[in-house]
Amino acid sequence: MLAGIARRVGRRLLASLPALLGVVVVTFMLMRVLPGDPAVFFASGPSAGKEEIEDLRRTMGLDKPIPVQLFRYLGEIAQGEFGRSMTTGQPVVLDIKRRLPASLELTCTALLIALSLALPLGIAAALRPGTVIDHTVRLLCTLGVCVPTFVSGLLLIYMFYYLLGWAPDPTARIDIFASPPPEITGFYLIDFILMGDWDGWWAAFRQLLLPAFTMALFVLAPLARMTRASMLAVLGSDFIRTAHAMGLSRPRIVVAYALRNALLPVITITGIVFSTMLGANVLVEKVFSWPGVASYALDALLSSDYAPVQAFVLLMASIFVLVNVTIDVLYGIADPRVSVA
Amino acid sequence: MAQSRAETLRYVTGNTINTLDTTMPGATRESFGLSMNVYDRLFTFGRKKVGDNWTFDPEVIRGELAKSYSISSDSKVITITLRTDATWHDGTPVTAEDVKWSLDRHVTAKSLAAPQFTTGSLTKADQFKIVDPQTITVTLEKPDRLALANLCVCYAIMINSKLAKKNATADDPWAMEWMKSNTAASGAYIVESHKAGESTILRRNEKWIGGVNSALPNFKRIIIQTVPEAATRANLIERGDADLAIDLAASDLPTLEKSAKAKVASIPQTNGFTHISMNTQVAPFDNPKVRQAVAAALPYEDMFKASIFGRGRKLYDATWSATPPDASFPQPIPNKTDPVLAKKLLAEAGFPNGFSTTFAFAAGLAATAEPVSALVKEALSKVGIQVEIQKKPDAEFNTMQAEKKAVFFTDGATAWLPFTYYFFYLYFTRDQRWNFASFKSSKMDELTLDARYQTDKGKYDDACKKMIEIFTAETPLIMLWQPNHDAVMAKSVDGYTYQFYRQADFRDLRRV
Repeated sequence: MLAGIARRVGRRLLASLPALLGVVVVTFMLMRVLPGDPAVFFASGPSAGKEEIEDLRRTMGLDKPIPVQLFRYLGEIAQGEFGRSMTTGQPVVLDIKRRLPASLELTCTALLIALSLALPLGIAAALRPGTVIDHTVRLLCTLGVCVPTFVSGLLLIYMFYYLLGWAPDPTARIDIFASPPPEITGFYLIDFILMGDWDGWWAAFRQLLLPAFTMALFVLAPLARMTRASMLAVLGSDFIRTAHAMGLSRPRIVVAYALRNALLPVITITGIVFSTMLGANVLVEKVFSWPGVASYALDALLSSDYAPVQAFVLLMASIFVLVNVTIDVLYGIADPRVSVA
Repeated sequence: MAQSRAETLRYVTGNTINTLDTTMPGATRESFGLSMNVYDRLFTFGRKKVGDNWTFDPEVIRGELAKSYSISSDSKVITITLRTDATWHDGTPVTAEDVKWSLDRHVTAKSLAAPQFTTGSLTKADQFKIVDPQTITVTLEKPDRLALANLCVCYAIMINSKLAKKNATADDPWAMEWMKSNTAASGAYIVESHKAGESTILRRNEKWIGGVNSALPNFKRIIIQTVPEAATRANLIERGDADLAIDLAASDLPTLEKSAKAKVASIPQTNGFTHISMNTQVAPFDNPKVRQAVAAALPYEDMFKASIFGRGRKLYDATWSATPPDASFPQPIPNKTDPVLAKKLLAEAGFPNGFSTTFAFAAGLAATAEPVSALVKEALSKVGIQVEIQKKPDAEFNTMQAEKKAVFFTDGATAWLPFTYYFFYLYFTRDQRWNFASFKSSKMDELTLDARYQTDKGKYDDACKKMIEIFTAETPLIMLWQPNHDAVMAKSVDGYTYQFYRQADFRDLRRV
């Protein structure tokens, strides 16, 4: 079975290469079609004249025709060279290496919170359809979806930081006066555990809570609604009735038989939610000054800084591919019939 | 190692320090601010009190790494005496060779310093000569009035040449690449850590001697943190968790002024102006009457209130006509809201029924430019001019401006060196990006050239007044106002000074 999974993963990864190449080319072209000349933008010092703009264009390689630029860029990517960001002045690879763990840590925590809320809520709603519980869950989900994350984020900050003073100031991953852990994995929560620094871990965790909750609220709805719908369908099927008839205990029926069968669509939606969160959490990152990849890419986009945007899109596409492959593998575990194919 | 909170200043900003070498093309304004605190220059501007607040004073120039200077009688040779006790951050002494190398770099390397230095007639390395280990001379072809002032600007950093040369390569003899993320400085603060886009931490240089009477700055530690959301920055200050911010939303300021923990220093940006420009080379704005008609149609007072809540100095409604009362610039121009005059001028210009045009602004300035645009559109439609508003992403707007494709737009500008001649030279001569209105006038070219090398104050002032007269008669652009620079700080922080580069100078600040 393991060999089967490995073969499937390998095939899927290979098949995604053309798609990734397409993404690279399209982003590259798109950035150049957008109006706005990066050389002009970056040479906007008090005394930068025409010559300085031309010079900058030459250093950035923008004076060459676009096909030449594209081939040169593809060659550089092949060597793992993604260029330098003009907005931060650092090589893009370095920037992303530092910022990706921040985004991943936030997204994973938010997803965990969302799942731990959405699954029980969805199950509870499915077990008592049409009751007060069901309607309450529906209301919660609707609220979560219809309040934009920057509004809920600012509201949470206003309440827990400004008014109550419970939360630490909503800037960055750890209190600015405290020292961050040494970069081992880049995930602060893991690094602090590895260092055995529990005070640091608690500080980082407190800092993470508000933004993670903000994000979790937003994705609560698709997860809870999907769990509910899928549970309802399964609970109404024949084998559940059989289980009831055979006198199995209710918790056993719900968890072992119904939930396991209802999980497939939930896993699918979780994968999609995760990928969307990673790219779309830019508002949360901005509101909480979270040094993640999404706000990095947005800043770059606004200033026509090509290299970071291109690298970001490629990164997101790659993560999407990886998430999809992972979901495939998880399918096999949730439902052995899938992996036979 | 940890300094107490009181000795630490936490500064929050919406922007990013993208380089430690401020002369690098693309350097952000935050990088200018950092560079002033980390690097010394030969000279620096003094400061003066205007009302309750401090503002930089370009008329007073004092030594930083230089002890003193003297200017020859023909104003062509500046003799600079260096301090003998200055050291670099690595402890080695500052030498005349270091100074010469730094100056050479600024006129030779492809950095932003070179074009800036040309405005002070500093163009070639052989203008700088080492006379003895304590003395350097700067020789000018003509007595340029801004030569010395140029040695005070952000780009004129003095670099530890031995350290920089160690990290230079054959392709990069001026160590431009290395200096982007490393410093070779002697300034008041030493960069302890720098994470671009997140935070930069500075520690005081206990051996700094560049201050007034060699006094050390008050704060031992500075934390510069990027906090993108303006509302969060305001919250941090109000809660007392951060000490200083200079880029908060104008709508938050009235609340902060009443706050128990914060105070606001509102200082007019004496070296800047917000304007509405018209491309003087493109019809219908090539006709001065059309430009004057627009100037007469605008609702100045409403725009001033709606755009910046009246927080600034008006550059309209002056009562003089033809000749200005003094040679200063920007100064209020005799523009008044007068729709009847606007209609008459339009008819004289051959547009009795008006015309259609576009009005552009950069999205980054939306908070102040959007109200202006709406009011411009409304007011001009009353005199028959139909305006379509174009809100452009910053990069696109800048490109339009540089390529002279924007015909009618609003923008702001600041000149580092606030001298009347410099304003006109920078913004109203030559075919270059900062000539917003693409203004061409041989008389203006002549006057700015003459003023630049004029050593007689009376003649210089006359030339400046004539420039203002031409400007007023031709109306290439319409001056609106000088917006206030609003620094919001904790009540305990004092001494904030408005600087020409519009950033916080941590050396001026103290906690009381």
